[in-house]
Amino acid sequence: MLSVLIWLPVIGALIISCLPQERAAVRGRQVALMFATIVLVWTGWLVLQFDASVAGFQFQESLPWIQQLGLRYQLGMDGLSLPLIVLNSLLVWLAIYSSDTNLNRPRLWYCLMLLLEAGVAGAFLAENLLLFFLFYEVELIPLYLMVAIWGGARRGYAATKFLIYTALSGILILAAFFGLALLSGTGSFDYTVLQNPALPIGTQLVLLITLMIGFGIKIPVVPLHTWLPDTHVEAPTPASVLLAGVLLKLGTYGILRFGLGLFPETWQIIAPGLAWLAVVNVLYGSFVAIAQTDMKKIVAYSSVGHMGYILLAAAAATPLSIAGAIAQMVSHGLISALLFFLVGVVYAKTGTRDVTVLRGLLNPERGLPLIGTLMIAGVMASAGIPGMVGFVAEYIVYRSSLPIFPVQTLLCMVGVGLTAVYFLNLVNRAFFGRLPDALANLPAIYWKDRIPSIVVVVLVIFLGLQPNWMTRWSELTSLSLGTLDDRAMIAASLALRPLRSAD
Amino acid sequence: MVQFLIETSWWVPGYGLLGALLTLPWSIGVVRRTGPRPAAYINVLMTLVALIHCGLLLWVVWDMTTQYVSLPWLSVLDLDITLSLELSRVSVGAALIITVLSLIAQIFALGYLEKDWALARFYALMGFFEGAMSGLVLSNSLFLSYALLEMLTLSTYLLVGFWYAQPLVVTAARDAFLTKRVGDVLLLMGVVTVGLLAGDLDFPYLEAWAETANLSPLVANLVGLALIAGPVGKCAQFPLNLWLDEAMEGPNPASILRNSVVVACGAYVLIRVQPIVALSPVALTTLMVLGTVTAIGSSLVAIAQIDIKRALSHTTSAYLGLVFLAVGMQQDEVALLFLLTHGIAKALLFMCTGSVILTTSTQDLREMGGLGSRMPATVSSFVIGALGSVGLVPLGCFWAMYQWAAPVWQSSLGLLAVLLLVNGLTAFGLTRVFGLVFCGAVTPKTRRAPESPWPIAVPMVAMAIATLLLPAMLYRWHLLPAWNEVNLAIVAALFASSITGCGLGVFFYLGSRPLPQPSGAVWNSFQDFLAHDFRIETLYRLTVVFAVSQGSRFTAWFDQYVVDGMVNLLGVASLIGGESLKYTISGRARNYLLTVFIGVILGIAWLGWMF
Repeated sequence: MLSVLIWLPVIGALIISCLPQERAAVRGRQVALMFATIVLVWTGWLVLQFDASVAGFQFQESLPWIQQLGLRYQLGMDGLSLPLIVLNSLLVWLAIYSSDTNLNRPRLWYCLMLLLEAGVAGAFLAENLLLFFLFYEVELIPLYLMVAIWGGARRGYAATKFLIYTALSGILILAAFFGLALLSGTGSFDYTVLQNPALPIGTQLVLLITLMIGFGIKIPVVPLHTWLPDTHVEAPTPASVLLAGVLLKLGTYGILRFGLGLFPETWQIIAPGLAWLAVVNVLYGSFVAIAQTDMKKIVAYSSVGHMGYILLAAAAATPLSIAGAIAQMVSHGLISALLFFLVGVVYAKTGTRDVTVLRGLLNPERGLPLIGTLMIAGVMASAGIPGMVGFVAEYIVYRSSLPIFPVQTLLCMVGVGLTAVYFLNLVNRAFFGRLPDALANLPAIYWKDRIPSIVVVVLVIFLGLQPNWMTRWSELTSLSLGTLDDRAMIAASLALRPLRSAD
Repeated sequence: MVQFLIETSWWVPGYGLLGALLTLPWSIGVVRRTGPRPAAYINVLMTLVALIHCGLLLWVVWDMTTQYVSLPWLSVLDLDITLSLELSRVSVGAALIITVLSLIAQIFALGYLEKDWALARFYALMGFFEGAMSGLVLSNSLFLSYALLEMLTLSTYLLVGFWYAQPLVVTAARDAFLTKRVGDVLLLMGVVTVGLLAGDLDFPYLEAWAETANLSPLVANLVGLALIAGPVGKCAQFPLNLWLDEAMEGPNPASILRNSVVVACGAYVLIRVQPIVALSPVALTTLMVLGTVTAIGSSLVAIAQIDIKRALSHTTSAYLGLVFLAVGMQQDEVALLFLLTHGIAKALLFMCTGSVILTTSTQDLREMGGLGSRMPATVSSFVIGALGSVGLVPLGCFWAMYQWAAPVWQSSLGLLAVLLLVNGLTAFGLTRVFGLVFCGAVTPKTRRAPESPWPIAVPMVAMAIATLLLPAMLYRWHLLPAWNEVNLAIVAALFASSITGCGLGVFFYLGSRPLPQPSGAVWNSFQDFLAHDFRIETLYRLTVVFAVSQGSRFTAWFDQYVVDGMVNLLGVASLIGGESLKYTISGRARNYLLTVFIGVILGIAWLGWMF
């Protein structure tokens, strides 16, 4: 059942690559949309079949592949991967839908889209460490090509930077996986076998830190983040959407699944440091975003900041905070995708993303009023205004991390205010004010440009009003991932203990 | 029926939001053929429905004990958040007042914004505004109150930014949002902490918890300060009052609500969290100090304004300062009474202001004059509103001020002095506005001014009648003191301060020949200082704004040149390394062999040395 999510897009990609040259743009799009729709429907069906009252993996599949290496084709879905799979299927569909109908080499483009979908789905579903690594690497090739072929002026630089960084991340992860499998003496790469290995704490620490640096590049964690803004700026809009919406989640998924999941005891040692890193991410990302003038860079650095909340929740590692981290992944996936869609439309229509040039785009007759309205909704969601999904996720994160890391959590909350600063600057500069003559004759805007953003806005508001729809899937998984030892007691006894928020 | 009304009480805020949603086709320009009017009618209708529902609800709960309605919202693991509503005379009554005022303001806006192309958007925002406010007063949980306060912040931003094409509005909207956001973020910290410490965020539970809570003084102080920060921002109290001055660039019908009920909502939340704030003496003292500073400061600032809306809105801050002072002294009921009487009088004053602005097309007091004989309905409403908002028997605010002063005057003469001072200054300021607008010589802008059209005049006069009837209502609700217990000394003192203020105002601004204004460098700079709201903007620019912008610039520089610079340096170094190493490739096999040989020897030597 899960294999469908991986192999159906691959079949789609093969079919597209065999399409005849003429009218490939239209047909390729149709075929790609068709396959993406089937995958989306299949995902929806899986969600309906998913039993939220079971903690472990469901719909498991297992086939031997290369026994000598310990590589098995083993898939499974639990409450951690389910929301991300949904996010992947949805955003890929929207990205294909929003693709430019006149782009060069359309067959390759749609092929890569579907391959990306397959790779990401495989990574989220893999229950075998080597298999995860394979999909993790596979996913990187389509994105590299998308940036390198359809990117902006400095696409070569950006794509290479992305490739080198992510490849390095893969190598570190692989090294950690090998080290774990060899040192623990099992010779197997099965996730369930390797959980909580009987290794000396020092060895575990080395492995865990290697793993964390690997995933830290992908998240990205400051100071390993500089590939992200460059890649975003050069990437075409659908690639940006997928990069921010889904691919970054591979990093946070990795630290939860493999960092916390495999090394729950050693996790306690690195947790305080990780929480401080989260603070650095949030404040650093926000401050850099304030100084940017390129809309894509602002959104990219806001991603750096918002991924910090996930780090914070992951560091706290209580059941509730894991649930918060998963919710924040979904929330950030939706909101950053929304913002990139909107920035993409603005760029396509005005030819610039510079907020010092853009002005008065809310103009009802000659501007982009609906896009502006959606943009306000998007930035407000990102700034954590209640009624939208960002607030729910952030509230759970703060509420659950506060007892474990009070000072760090309060510092992270400052980030909510800073988010408002840079996004409000963006909206006020680009959308308020008087529309200058240079922008008075924008090309016509069609519903096709607006629909992806509208779909995401509706979801953002719906999940903000009915958050249970988002959180109920992952409750039991969070419970099994989170640590329930002395930390829970700390939380309970906090009422009697002064908070350390004084210093 | 009764049960049905109570169970559906959460529809009351829903109507406004639904109205906002229904206007979307017009406000985003999908429906153009009909013009924006239908959107306005839909919203007025929704508000009317909300009003009827609210009225029925009030009739039902009037004789009941407080009813609670809870809606499960989020339940994940050990976190369980329900949105609960409290239905009592006070809360439903407050919701009723909000819907009534919203209805009046919306009818007012039909006249005021008649020719505005964005009428539909305005009504969408008003519906949103109304929904958030009526939800806020009905809310029984700190969590819900916080969420709705944020929504109020958002809708204030959008309403202030309504005419977004004007440059002044752009900064005004931004400042309004960010200043309030500072308060909101601090409030969020407080809410999260209280949620953790207490375990639940329903107000009755929190009240019970606060009685037995055993917090260390530090935590109690921080929580108390965080909780008052939100209302401080919402009610434009010092030091989060930066936004108020500029926010008067927004459309006037929104200002009616803003100056009467929105500020009251902020103070209402403060009253609800008062038991927790009371755990911390520091927070209570801060509350009183901020209230006093704002009350006196804003009264002075109001007098120095030349903009009619600013002159009035600063008095709103001043009165809210008095409310803060009352909450700081733990007189919650007096605070509520004050909010009611002030809200109604101030709404009326702002309607008159709107009427004047629409007729004269200016907000500058210096360009007005002589309107008294031309706009009879407006001038009489203004007089009623002004009398209602200063301490003159027998209108509304007098009783609130009396109740405020009666229990404290013996213990603290200083507080009484603050009250009398603020009251006197407000009386002076209102007389000044009255004199400048309605008396004196006719100016070019007021020469041909007609009375306002009926959509403005009718709500205004209705509101004036409501202001006149308010004391009777207070009497019926037993909110007035018994006749034989009235402390005549306080009555006399209040009366005297009002009369002094009015008299001075008449002396300076109403005389047949206005007195020459005092001049001189010191006086001018003092006046300037007040006119610019104590230079709060400069203060912000030099501190917070400077710190954030310099900090962000430095971080961005660091990011570009140090962090990314290191990465690029590494890249360049490896490229150069590769480029230069390729010249060592000579192609002679013996050299390669030698290199391998040396390498092996070194390797063995290292291993030998290691073990």
